[in-house]
Amino acid sequence: MQSTFGKYLNLKKQRAAYSWARAKRMKVCYLFLAPYAILFTAFVILPIVTSIYYSFTYYNILEPPKFIGFQNYVNLILQDEVFLTAVRNTFVIAVITGPIGYILSFLFAWFINELPRWIRTIAVVVFYAPSIASNAYYIFSIIFRGDAYGYLNSFLLQFGLVDSPLLFLLDPKYILPVIIIVILWMSMGTGFLSFVAGLQGVDRSMYEAGYVDGIRNRWQELYHITLPSMKPMLLFGAVMSITSSFNVCDVPRALAGYPSTDYAARTIVTHLFDYGFSRFEMGYASAIATVLFVVMIVCNKVIQSALRKVGT
Amino acid sequence: MSENNNQQPQKWTRADELHAQRVRLGEIREEEAFNKKRYALIAGIVLLLMIALILLAGWRISAINQNIISGSAEKLFDQDYESVYLFGRVVLIILAAGYAFYALIKIIAPKRRKPNRSFWGDLGIYVMLAIVAVAMAFPLVFSIGSALKPLDELFRFPPTVFPRRPTLDNFSDLFVTMGQSWVPFSRYLVNTVFITFAGTFGHVVIASMAAFVLAKYNFPGSKTFFSIVVTALMFSGYVTGIPNYVIMSRLGMIDTYWAIILPAFAAPIGLFLMKQFMEGLPDSLIEAAHLDGAGEFRIFWSIIMPNVKPAWLTIIIFSVQNLWNTNASTVIYSEQKKTLVYALQQIQAGGIARTGQAAAVTVVVMVVPITIFILSQSRILETMASSGLKD
Repeated sequence: MQSTFGKYLNLKKQRAAYSWARAKRMKVCYLFLAPYAILFTAFVILPIVTSIYYSFTYYNILEPPKFIGFQNYVNLILQDEVFLTAVRNTFVIAVITGPIGYILSFLFAWFINELPRWIRTIAVVVFYAPSIASNAYYIFSIIFRGDAYGYLNSFLLQFGLVDSPLLFLLDPKYILPVIIIVILWMSMGTGFLSFVAGLQGVDRSMYEAGYVDGIRNRWQELYHITLPSMKPMLLFGAVMSITSSFNVCDVPRALAGYPSTDYAARTIVTHLFDYGFSRFEMGYASAIATVLFVVMIVCNKVIQSALRKVGT
Repeated sequence: MSENNNQQPQKWTRADELHAQRVRLGEIREEEAFNKKRYALIAGIVLLLMIALILLAGWRISAINQNIISGSAEKLFDQDYESVYLFGRVVLIILAAGYAFYALIKIIAPKRRKPNRSFWGDLGIYVMLAIVAVAMAFPLVFSIGSALKPLDELFRFPPTVFPRRPTLDNFSDLFVTMGQSWVPFSRYLVNTVFITFAGTFGHVVIASMAAFVLAKYNFPGSKTFFSIVVTALMFSGYVTGIPNYVIMSRLGMIDTYWAIILPAFAAPIGLFLMKQFMEGLPDSLIEAAHLDGAGEFRIFWSIIMPNVKPAWLTIIIFSVQNLWNTNASTVIYSEQKKTLVYALQQIQAGGIARTGQAAAVTVVVMVVPITIFILSQSRILETMASSGLKD
């Protein structure tokens, strides 16, 4: 036992020495990596680590952080009803917009793929524009406006579907569906671009081979040829889609107000904003952020392992 | 080895044979006559649609006229303008329908059909695609339309998508409002332009340097570092906002441009796309340069960088899009350092009275990223082709 462990340790030591020698030989690589690595550590890794640390403290910026153990998490789950609303809303939004947005962006990328080049260009611009048009979602506050001048309300009134204008952005019944529609509208993002580009790169001869081997319609072709060869893009698109569906913040704040009626549009990120930047309870806000990290990483792992099985 | 080499061509000849056989048997129909029938069918459908649209337009105009005559609606525009409007509308509809017809014919009825694609399937998919595209474009068109509407049309019942008397009043009002603000409009613009340029430039240089070594050299720790970057793709600026604020305040960078620029240097998406694209470059390029005695920096600057222009453009657009839209309200407090988007959002928050100006703001802000995207989209797609996450 002792000797096995000793051998193992020896091996490890040798490995480390070898790595160290190699690292010394490739000094210049680290030099190239250094500027990015330093900034990345300072503004991405360090914030995540400190946010986990702060989540166990009471910290209001003025006084030094005070260690309070799991108190923040306990309060979060047992006392903060608004947080539970926020979690529910975030999950409703993520579960609906995530998969639907993901599948739609793949399907549309696939449909567009066979169009002639110039029409494809127009289509890509039309589908991708909403997600880069910065705060274009603001226009939905006119479309869904609560009086008769709002586009949707006037439409409903004209056709006699309602008697009086509906308060789409103020009535808790309608807020969440409206936000989901707007986020779906914006869901053809980076993942969509990746799909469009990836589909262009699928080997044409595979389709011909598949045709000979008895594939008879476009759906079989999609399942047996296209999806397996698109796997890297599907994985990348999934990461992007998880990011955008969990980090919902700007849209509800701009459309439903902040805070919204009855917290109907409260999401985890707006809750975090409320505690972090309005009340300056950094410790509590960090606990919220940590919960979100964990949820997103778990989600990512599950989806990645599910996607790896596609078409195999 | 030789077996493998032989199998490939054999399979191909068989495929060609089968294809030729199917053509001979008439299973794959490639005759012109069949295509002509299709042209006629689609032409008929499109013509019917066109007629329906024109009738609809005419009916709406006459309904409005009747309202004006009976006095139940106020007269919103002159009779002269009315006829011009009607004419313009009909011409537009005819042009649009003609274009759609041409496009459909081009797409649906090529001389040779691809295998595994049925005519009706194609038609259904393209019609659906067209409907969804209209729905996607509608809010953007609506915001452009609203920005061009005069005040009386903004509050018309029923509201219209296209303005009847387009004006640029909203934009000039916007500049008047901005001109009256405490900090001059140009200052906000300079702030945003400076932040966008500085942040994007630094990001491109720093991220490509890191991407170069990560893609082309295998040194201890490179794999681990890259997998951390990939995980970091998931964390948006919101989630790291709070500790970032604390770190910034420790560094004394709160209320300076650096608080926006430095985190933008470290955006993971740029490094990720750059690295994936650089992996596609042949290693022989670097080896040849090494043999010629070029140093690493020389290789990076004069061999790698000129060869990854598409990737540059892509990470430039992602960075510009991110920085242009930043309102940075959490790290910038003095009014002179606020960004353009922040100032414009304040105008948008002005409520009902500023509806027109708010629509103008939306147009002003969205024009920049969309224009850059349209201009560089082929390069961007070239880069995104290598964006996949490998196992």
